[in-house]
Amino acid sequence: MAGRGKLIAVIGDEDTCTGFLLGGIGELNKNRKPNFLVVEKDTSITEIEETFKSFLARNDIGIILINQFIAEMIRHAIDAHMQSIPAVLEIPSKEHPYDASKDSILRRAKGMFSADDFR
Amino acid sequence: MGVPELEESFLSLDAKLLRFMDQLELLEEKRATLNSLIEQGWFSLSKARYSMGNKQVSALQYASEIEPLVCVHARTLDNGEAEFCIERVTQSKESGKDERSIEDIGPQEEGVRRRNKPKKDIKEKQEDDIARSKKATEVTPVKKNDQNPQQDPLKWFGILVPQSLKQAQSSFKQVIELSAEIAALQIAILNTRQELKNSMKDKHALQKKTSTAQVDKVAD
Repeated sequence: MAGRGKLIAVIGDEDTCTGFLLGGIGELNKNRKPNFLVVEKDTSITEIEETFKSFLARNDIGIILINQFIAEMIRHAIDAHMQSIPAVLEIPSKEHPYDASKDSILRRAKGMFSADDFR
Repeated sequence: MGVPELEESFLSLDAKLLRFMDQLELLEEKRATLNSLIEQGWFSLSKARYSMGNKQVSALQYASEIEPLVCVHARTLDNGEAEFCIERVTQSKESGKDERSIEDIGPQEEGVRRRNKPKKDIKEKQEDDIARSKKATEVTPVKKNDQNPQQDPLKWFGILVPQSLKQAQSSFKQVIELSAEIAALQIAILNTRQELKNSMKDKHALQKKTSTAQVDKVAD
């Protein structure tokens, strides 16, 4: 397992998942759960959150790619994730372009500046 | 004594702040590239869907068993930062298994041919049965390997796929490479932010010390 490397997981809409699976990141077999989740209109927030938490709990996932509009639905879970690995990367979707002000990482980085810092 | 220490902390703080700004600028550039590559990928997927049909490029085409062709080697460095390295698995590793399956198809076909031949002697028939049963035991463990899960995902969409689908694949492959760089950069930014926070606290503490020392001197 150590020599094999970690997987890249993806939580996104159909086009996002199809694209990344074409890129070769997908894993799906009878013994293990898939490393991707196709989010459709009827996918519940609970399911998305459970899948995200299951990816965090797995020790064989290095990066989690998630559409930003889906990340907004489970923002509390993403903000609670403080570890470096797996890294969470928010990506745009077809209908929702990337907004840096919503990105968890950049909000944490932006939060360091306050009036006291300029004294 | 306190003043040189204070100046040193100011210089270190400035250096960290500049490093932080450089990292943010680099992140913004990589993000812009990533977003444009993803958009290119979607556009190519849409073109492929237009030429192949709406339902021909969808989640319905995913294979029932998929092996990852890409993995990421992640390691945490001493300074708290992380390094991500993408490795693409080559598909030539499966050639050994393919050779074995090709060899076993030959005898299996001979066994089928023998069944159709007219019966000559009972003894010959018994010998044939024994030979067939031996070959059957050789063949059955290999039969299950008909589907090779480690294949190019393009093949899920058919033998002849339009160029736009290949372009989509190429765009997303580049996105995967860039994702690893951005993930490492994000962790570096958070690390630098934490260092800045700590340095700021140290600076305030030093400033308080120097100011109380100066007040004591004036009082004397």
